[in-house]
Amino acid sequence: MKNKNGIANIYLVLVFLVLYAPIFYLMYYSFNSGGTMHEFEGFTLDYYREVVADTRLMIIMINTLVIALLSSAIATLIAIIGALAIQHVRSRRAKNTLLSLNNVLIVSPDVIIGASFLILFTIVGIKLGFTSVLLSHVAFSIPIAVIMILPHLQEMSPTLTDAARDLGATRRDVLTKVILPIIKPGIFSGFFMALTYSLDDFAVTFFVTGNGYSTLSVEIYSRARQGVSLSINALSTLIFLFTILLVIGYYYLNQRKSRPAMHIAEQVAEAGVPR
Amino acid sequence: MKQLVNTFLAILIVAFGLMFLASRLNSAEGYSGGNTLTIYNWGDYIDPELLEQFQEETGITVIYQTFDSNEAMLTKVEQGGTVFDVVVPSDYAIAKMREENLLLPLDHSKLPNLANIGSKFMDLSFDPGNLYSVPYFWGTVGIIYNPEMTEGIDFSSWNSLWDKRLDNNIFLVDGAREVMGMALNSLHYSVNDRNEEHLQEALAKLNRLSPNVKAIVGDEIKMLLANEEAAVGIVWSGDASEIMDENDKLDYVVPEEGSNIWFDNMVIPRGAANIEGAHEFINFMLRPDVAAQNTEYVGYSTPNVPALDLLPEDISGDERFYPPAEITDRLEVYDNLGKRMLAHYNELFLKFKMNKK
Repeated sequence: MKNKNGIANIYLVLVFLVLYAPIFYLMYYSFNSGGTMHEFEGFTLDYYREVVADTRLMIIMINTLVIALLSSAIATLIAIIGALAIQHVRSRRAKNTLLSLNNVLIVSPDVIIGASFLILFTIVGIKLGFTSVLLSHVAFSIPIAVIMILPHLQEMSPTLTDAARDLGATRRDVLTKVILPIIKPGIFSGFFMALTYSLDDFAVTFFVTGNGYSTLSVEIYSRARQGVSLSINALSTLIFLFTILLVIGYYYLNQRKSRPAMHIAEQVAEAGVPR
Repeated sequence: MKQLVNTFLAILIVAFGLMFLASRLNSAEGYSGGNTLTIYNWGDYIDPELLEQFQEETGITVIYQTFDSNEAMLTKVEQGGTVFDVVVPSDYAIAKMREENLLLPLDHSKLPNLANIGSKFMDLSFDPGNLYSVPYFWGTVGIIYNPEMTEGIDFSSWNSLWDKRLDNNIFLVDGAREVMGMALNSLHYSVNDRNEEHLQEALAKLNRLSPNVKAIVGDEIKMLLANEEAAVGIVWSGDASEIMDENDKLDYVVPEEGSNIWFDNMVIPRGAANIEGAHEFINFMLRPDVAAQNTEYVGYSTPNVPALDLLPEDISGDERFYPPAEITDRLEVYDNLGKRMLAHYNELFLKFKMNKK
């Protein structure tokens, strides 16, 4: 039994090594004064300076963050409504159909989604740029957020809402004081998932950028043709640190929020069941 | 609930703060002004200082966008939705864009610096009379090899690749035109040969090459060769110069039987908004001092003759990238073979790939 665990641990360590080694390799060479990813000659911060001095790159980086934050916030709001609606559907078959339709959007290839957005936007006459990128990011983030929120809704006991209604809570109270606090972990995970999807999406974004508006993934991809310059390493390091911060923030929120949610649930449960 | 609302408010505030910052940066750079020029070019394919210089000299603000393949660029230009004023496609893409009526004719009276381009690089099959395009950079297809691993084999002929000593030691780039062209050249035929017998001969010759071929790969060929995974590779000169930057043991040669010559060219796509500015930009890029500076930055071969004199001797005198006349005379541009012939080339190349064990 103990032996089995040992193998499992080694396996786990190996997997993490494989996943993280390239990232650390890349970060290590972002400090290389040699200018290539071959031999480490000496420590330098030149590439970080280059990134900060490159106004165009900074604008693109800000664009990427703005798109990620806005699109995942909007997508999460829509997904909350969507998840509630799906949960409300009585017929089992209709519910399953809706869920499958949601899942199809997640698994369908990005390239196809991107191309169809491009066609849609040009037909409707939306100019390619900020709006088109934002809209498409919102669109592909919604199904992901729905998937993250729905299980929390399904886990929630329906007696909770009934009890709250019995105790005289209005519809609004039920939503804001009972349902939303309970599904909060799902909302946050949905938001963060959407955020990461938006940050690194290339395929969809490539099709819908235009008029001087670009995001990091598109920019890095087209620069990579000439070999990846070390300033890209520096930039990637910065982004990696940023995402680590996000994860820590998410962890912190998760730690704090599960307690109050339980608290309310308990309160309602206690109040709802008279002794 | 309160926490949810607060978090979302915080996200919105941060997002709008960043947006404000971006718009400040944008206007500081002049991107939101009226007189702008949108350029669509390959990634990292121009010296950024030149864009600033152009801006200072003309007052036109440049919006610069990048793509990574001709196909991707074609999709964006065809679909519309974005206005591009200057685009830099490769030769065969220009032929295609011309056929599909996606290009605006150039006004040569506004391009006096066109005279700087060497006559060898003008009036080529993809754009007779240079009605639509102006050469930007050019290059060749050739052999990159590692002298330490090839026991002094002389690569000045394509036929050296068939040497028994190179067993399982060659990487080919995954392109039907490149590989078929190489085989045709080795038989002293044209890279645009349409003669069925010649093509079958080339296929048979390729099949005899397969014991030497380690793999047929895409863009990763650069990394594989720089890491010395094989001794020899068939690559474009642009890739070769990058590989040699990474690993200076390697050397590049254009075989004497001839080879392909490729071009990236500046064109003005239909629907351009600032046609006047586009001409100004193209003329600016044709200036010898500008072309020389750009060549030093990008590292490909320039078609600009006076610019060569301004370049350091170790660039302009490098015969690997500026081959002597007896070789350049034998270099050929890929003709547009037409759909059926191209399909045939692809089919033959596929047969070769399938035969390879």
